[in-house]
Amino acid sequence: MLLFTVKRLLMLIPVFLAISVVIFMLVHLVPGDPIDNIIRVGATPAEKAALVARYGLDQPIWAQYVNWFSKMVQGDLGDAIILRRPVADLIAQNLPHSLALGSLALVFSTVVGITAGAIAAIYRDTWFDRGVMTVILLGSTVPSFWLALLMILLFAVTLGWFPVSGARTASALVLPVLTIGLGGVALVARVTRVAMMDIARRDFVMMLHAKGVSRWRIELGSVLRHAMMPVVTILSLRIGWILGGAVAVEFVFARPGLGSLLITSLNQRDYPVVQGCLLMLAIAVMLGTLLGDIVQAIMDPRIREGMK
Amino acid sequence: MALRFLWGVVHTPRGGASAFVLMLVIACALFAPLIAPYGYALQNLPGSNTSPNALHWLGTDEFGRDLLSRIIHGARTSLTVAVTAISISVVVGMTFGAIAGYFGGMFDRVVTAVVDLTWSFPEILIALILIAIIGTGTESIIIAISIAYLAQFTRLTRAQVMALRQETYIEATVNLGAGHFHVIFRHLLPNAITPVIVAGMLAIGDAIILEATLGFFGLGAQPPIPSWGAMMSSGTAQIFIAPWIILFPGAAIALTVISINLFGDALIDALNIRSRLRDV
Amino acid sequence: MQTLTKRAIAGTLLSTTFLVTGLSSALIAQEATMVLPAREVGAPSYDPIRGTKLNVATTLIYDRMVLQDADQSYHGQLATAWETSEDGMTWTFTLRPDVTFHDGEPFNAETIAWWVPQFEGTENAFMTEAIESVEIVDDLTVRFIMKNPDPNLLSNMASSFMGVPSPKAYEELGDQYGVTGAIGTGPFILESYTVGQDTVLVRNEAYSAASALSVNQGPPHLARLTFREIGDDSTAFLEMRTGGVDMLLSVPADFRSMLDNESDVTMVTLPGRELFYMPINTTVAPFDDIRVREATALAVNQAEIVDNLYGGLGAAADTFLNDSLLESNVDDALRISYNPERAQALLDEAGWVVGTNGVRAKDGQALNVKLWTQNGTEFRRITEVIQAQLIAVGINADITVLDPSSINAEYRKGTEHQLAVRSYSWENADILDWFFSSDRIGYPNVSMWDDEPAEEMRILAMTGSRTWDERVANFTAYHEYVLTQFVFAPIYQPVQSFAYSSTTLSVPEQIRSTRVQSQTFLDIDVK
Repeated sequence: MLLFTVKRLLMLIPVFLAISVVIFMLVHLVPGDPIDNIIRVGATPAEKAALVARYGLDQPIWAQYVNWFSKMVQGDLGDAIILRRPVADLIAQNLPHSLALGSLALVFSTVVGITAGAIAAIYRDTWFDRGVMTVILLGSTVPSFWLALLMILLFAVTLGWFPVSGARTASALVLPVLTIGLGGVALVARVTRVAMMDIARRDFVMMLHAKGVSRWRIELGSVLRHAMMPVVTILSLRIGWILGGAVAVEFVFARPGLGSLLITSLNQRDYPVVQGCLLMLAIAVMLGTLLGDIVQAIMDPRIREGMK
Repeated sequence: MALRFLWGVVHTPRGGASAFVLMLVIACALFAPLIAPYGYALQNLPGSNTSPNALHWLGTDEFGRDLLSRIIHGARTSLTVAVTAISISVVVGMTFGAIAGYFGGMFDRVVTAVVDLTWSFPEILIALILIAIIGTGTESIIIAISIAYLAQFTRLTRAQVMALRQETYIEATVNLGAGHFHVIFRHLLPNAITPVIVAGMLAIGDAIILEATLGFFGLGAQPPIPSWGAMMSSGTAQIFIAPWIILFPGAAIALTVISINLFGDALIDALNIRSRLRDV
Repeated sequence: MQTLTKRAIAGTLLSTTFLVTGLSSALIAQEATMVLPAREVGAPSYDPIRGTKLNVATTLIYDRMVLQDADQSYHGQLATAWETSEDGMTWTFTLRPDVTFHDGEPFNAETIAWWVPQFEGTENAFMTEAIESVEIVDDLTVRFIMKNPDPNLLSNMASSFMGVPSPKAYEELGDQYGVTGAIGTGPFILESYTVGQDTVLVRNEAYSAASALSVNQGPPHLARLTFREIGDDSTAFLEMRTGGVDMLLSVPADFRSMLDNESDVTMVTLPGRELFYMPINTTVAPFDDIRVREATALAVNQAEIVDNLYGGLGAAADTFLNDSLLESNVDDALRISYNPERAQALLDEAGWVVGTNGVRAKDGQALNVKLWTQNGTEFRRITEVIQAQLIAVGINADITVLDPSSINAEYRKGTEHQLAVRSYSWENADILDWFFSSDRIGYPNVSMWDDEPAEEMRILAMTGSRTWDERVANFTAYHEYVLTQFVFAPIYQPVQSFAYSSTTLSVPEQIRSTRVQSQTFLDIDVK
């Protein structure tokens, strides 16, 4: 298992290098110059040149990249041009909020999604199945900012159970988590239901039925367990989404987060921050994929064997 | 044959109901100027924020514009953006996916790596970044959305093609000396196309929501052209004064997207391709 | 089992902590949470010298030399007295004794002598531009030697950018000043600051530099003050309605009527300091023709916007300056007011004839123009109404919605922009210099206005006025001239309003500043 993990980790190195190049170049494709946004009005060309040099923007792009990369591997993501503070600080401020919101929403979608999917699969092709799946579908068929507003109106304004916005108390997390979580339930439920129906047709399940094992025991003990593989795959591949996909919801709830930081800095052409955020997201995505692979390998020894 | 098949889909309750809604939305999009009772940009400031009434069935917005007319015209914008973007995405994705899946090797590895990464990136972020690069406007968001969904179709096509490649009849065709081009376009893609098209149809629903979210950030169709997302975005400020401004476009989105999903599900069942779509 | 118990206890503790923090603002006295105006969201630092976007908390961390009352009179804060020489070439300020910075450093004449030159080379350099040098007369007296008379000096000294920082902290923190720390002499001390999120201030127990504009002459009543940054107007409104915050420093126009109906919320409306306008790029066809510019400006129906978009609150703008400024008293004939007949006639005269679809054309070229606006309900709304008003006289405007910072970036790139809906908030006629100086063509002179007579009048107004009255006369003349050139189309002057919870806060009835600032915060108390 350790060997498997190490191998997979090593395979990530070239991918990481490639991503860092792409991120660096991508940001430089964005039109508009960050210096233009901070330089004082009526500055002389010499003043501008000095500023450009200060941020190293006068060097050839490959030199800028090498410089950025070598600092980055030492944990220095540079300084924000507009926000005038270390990018690492900004990320450290925002990442915990994204992690809390994202992981709780993930847990919510997973628990509710698997439960609903399993119920739907057990009562497959009945009105109950269709009903559950349609209700769940609702959460993912409305734009999240709209759902967020409705949540605030119902739970914060009318019922007064939770604060409207912010990120200073744990209770302020509930509504954003519900909003994001509901959006993901449909996906998890759908995958669980299909996978369970798939497994239920397998020979070994038929055998269990023939042996007279109770239906619930088969469905929950064997079918559901075997159906977890595609669910894990889907979840692990959606890890980047967990960290950065909440931009609109973060905006409505006035919450900090990696997605919001990325978009604000993108609008202000604050290159170093955009690069830093994208890098964090890419790392999260890679780790998510890795984690998914490892979990799969634990669940299915054949994958481990295949790697050797 | 095709007609009978479609009848089979539409005949089921959910297939029928969803098909009906979709036909209605498509009709709105196609014939908006004929169906809409008023012009979408026709302002009447003294009559702003009126609640639904006999003259304006869904009420008016903050400029006194007829909401029903704007929702009908909005169907045109939202569907045009979603359908065009996903079509581009499907075509390009199928090409990449087929080539990668058929030839394998270095190209496949690169494509897979890129696809795996972007697939895990939130579509909304991909779209927002691309719009920052190419600028705002209807064309830009079409391009941005099509790229955001590219990974999904590349991935799916590749998986289909890889599976089909193992089939004996394909191997036989290759062994008989058929050209790669011939094999891909005459034998592999026609067999791989059904699940991709269905997945594409389902993705149109997601694209409508993505368009709406971009509209919330003020990106996409420029005023006064209505899109469901932009209408909801400007409605947030009037949620207490005139809740219908945000409610009706939201309902239009929800109804359309649910219909797309239900119809897609009915299609999947009728075509019996559930297992081939598992990873999507 | 052991771990389970531990975890359970930790869980209970955790939830208790949250319960306490949740209730704290209501139960523990002397705390208040306020929402910053949406336009102040995202201010990147509390550095008054180099910052270009500051929020109101800046005025609480730093004291200024003088403060301005709502009637625009000046009152001493760090300066207790001042006088200027006959020729306006020197200004002498007597400083308040026994003032110390939050870091314990003394405030005296040396501080001022250090402070003034810091502005050189910054975006805010224009504030101190007229000052040649600062002389230390004695420990508590400074004399400004002027390059030219500047009757506007006191107005500048009262600006938020003139908060005096601690020289020691400023030098020590360097680039990070205002970001990792901000040290002033003000009534509140910066405790924490998360950009885009919130700023927490605590009472400066030693404070005694209150101006005559506050009733309270000692330390502030509030022990702790949290400023939240909320970008979405509806969210801010809902926080106020549900009691999640105690005060909205600016109530979005859409929600005024809603908050007015709330029994436990008091809403106060003050004269506005903002102005919505439409800059016209004078260098790009068809707007290089002054007749087309005039027609465009006359096509804007300001009254329709005031009445229908703002329910009659606020006023039509018919000059480039806010009504509260003396320099806005121009010859009535020069005011720019809705006149569709004249707009039509001017366009006819300029050769733009009405086509079949209602859009004018000249030489086969349709009168299509670009109209930019920024993302945000208010801007989009005004822009869409103006689009309809322009088409009524045959001008077809295509709207592009841009992010606020993208608009500035676009301007600085010098693309061929034409029209835009913008707003500014400034309380001095020198905004005309900012917008129309030929030194700033491109941005902020987005009208790209470069004109010989205008430059002469501008320079005279900026540097040739010895007294305040002279300055008013010079700026009025300059204002009148630029009005005749139709470089802007004036649109709307909003009112400003703030709202507070009347169950938790008491706020002085009379606001003794042009907007809610430090002098009022000193008097705010919890109930």
